[in-house]
Amino acid sequence: MTRLILPASLANRPLNLLVRDFFYPALALVLSALTLAFATLGEFKALAEWHWTDVLAEGGMALMVGVWLVYVRGSRPAGRVTTWLTLGLAAMLVGEWVDALDEVWRLPKAMVWDNALEALTPLGMLALTVGLHFWRQEQRVLSRQLAQRERFTRDHRAVDRVTQLADAGYMAEQIQLERGLGRAGCVLMLGFDGFDRLTREQGLQAADRALEAASLTLLLNLRPQDLLCRYAGDRFVVLLPDCNAAEGERLADELKAALAQLNFNGRDGQRLRLPVRAALRATAGTQSPEQLLLDLLQAL
Amino acid sequence: MTLQAQLDALLPLGLGASNTGLPPYEIDTACLPAADHAALLAEFAHHRGVALAWPEQALISPRELITLLAPLREAGADSAFALGQLLLPGHYGLASQALLQAGSLADMLQCLCRHAGRLTPLLTPRLLIDEQELILVWTDACGLPAGLRGFIVDLHMSAVASLCAWRAGRRLPWRFSFDRTAPRDRAQHAVHLGTALHFGCQVDAMRLTRAEADVRWAATPGMASTALARHADPQALRRGLLASLGDRLLRQLAEPPSLEVLAAELGVSPATFKRRLARHGTHYQAEVDRVRAHVAVYLLGPRGQGRDTVAQALGYFDGANFRRSFKRWTGMAPGAWALG
Repeated sequence: MTRLILPASLANRPLNLLVRDFFYPALALVLSALTLAFATLGEFKALAEWHWTDVLAEGGMALMVGVWLVYVRGSRPAGRVTTWLTLGLAAMLVGEWVDALDEVWRLPKAMVWDNALEALTPLGMLALTVGLHFWRQEQRVLSRQLAQRERFTRDHRAVDRVTQLADAGYMAEQIQLERGLGRAGCVLMLGFDGFDRLTREQGLQAADRALEAASLTLLLNLRPQDLLCRYAGDRFVVLLPDCNAAEGERLADELKAALAQLNFNGRDGQRLRLPVRAALRATAGTQSPEQLLLDLLQAL
Repeated sequence: MTLQAQLDALLPLGLGASNTGLPPYEIDTACLPAADHAALLAEFAHHRGVALAWPEQALISPRELITLLAPLREAGADSAFALGQLLLPGHYGLASQALLQAGSLADMLQCLCRHAGRLTPLLTPRLLIDEQELILVWTDACGLPAGLRGFIVDLHMSAVASLCAWRAGRRLPWRFSFDRTAPRDRAQHAVHLGTALHFGCQVDAMRLTRAEADVRWAATPGMASTALARHADPQALRRGLLASLGDRLLRQLAEPPSLEVLAAELGVSPATFKRRLARHGTHYQAEVDRVRAHVAVYLLGPRGQGRDTVAQALGYFDGANFRRSFKRWTGMAPGAWALG
């Protein structure tokens, strides 16, 4: 017989990390133990006694809660929010599981522990709600970090790998939205002269770093309500809501100057500067946002 | 001058290949050193964080090259264009050197077309220079999977546009025609290639007016082209099976040689030739139609010739017959045609 020995490294591990690593095995253990308890202590119901809709509904609930649990744990870093969400979902899962099991086995009347366990479902819901409340607070902090990168709507598929900015399609949607709001605004496109040459001679890494530096510079110089997207390549596009032409020109000049000041790091320690181009248009108009952006690109 | 005489004059200038006596390479011919293309693709894949299986053997086939390219399509919306910038002149030995030794746009493109077997083994560029325009048409070297065609065409167009811009010191005002429907988002194409984009054309082509194409730059002349012409690197002069078939058909456009004649020229039986074409995803009639459709589209569009003149040049006795064929090739009436 093999003996289970805890590796020495585990003994000193902080509790929350232990919980993180042994969460699924522990949960599986609890669910199997419950199943075993029902199978040994209870009396198996004849198939005729089964309420199929209940079995499917309660079994299905347990299954779905399990799926949500896996997704939540898979997509979030550990922390207070995750702990509450996980605890809530796990409690709901156990409660639903017991609920499903007593459709299949009948426990003696004297046993009440199963009823107590079923109460885990509402308790889990409560914990989940607490988690969601903390999540909302967390999201406010994160949204502040994402200001100038997104407005009103989120589409993770549009986010660029290098600059963490949204793409041309997202900008087109936002221009349409701005038109719908009936505000006067401007769209500004910025790009470098000879960026392709930089890529060719300095390599992909250097080009990516230059784009990252440019995007950060622009973000620092934008107003809080503005939106910055990466159109494609080295072309950036800025939505300036609530902004007349004169103000737009002024902002365009400022941003252009900020980019022109940037020094990019070349391969062999050399510092490079590239000339900057800009083009400005009003958001209003009859042409499609996509065409507006293409016109801006051509005007650059 | 008859159409065939015009084509015959254009063929050695980059529209086709001179007969070198070298057998064409096929989709499964292991003829490309892994170190050439695969090394470049591996660098790009590493940069984009994509896993790329390094080929085990020293020589890979066009099919294996396509397999290496396929996962890179998912490496970002701009992957075709970013990778395209790295593709040429590349590190392909003498052929790359010859590209750099060319001192003008026309010379460089001719050099590219002549050595496509080494420089762009998947797609064969064909150069067409008439009084008004310079046109670079991209044709299949030995077939491409339909799902990857758009990506590979973008890759090659971006490679040539980027190479030209680099050598000329400025971006050239290329106009692009694509043999596919417009993508949802044109931003990547517009930024990397330019805003003159035409989708839904029958050919994949890049065009400049003659005045725009008259670009020269300082280059150090060298012997690379001469060495290549003397078979210093035979693969550079080899053509893909479909490209070499296209060359052959262009030489006899009005009365295309039959399947049996073509098979005999290759020294195989008609059945073997048919099987070989099938392995490249095509058949004899499809290739004849494709070449004729390309020529008809060129004559009707850029050349602005009348329907009847084109019908005659392609060997049709009456316009109605030509109209029907054209409809079958392109799904459009010849009258409604414009290259864009």
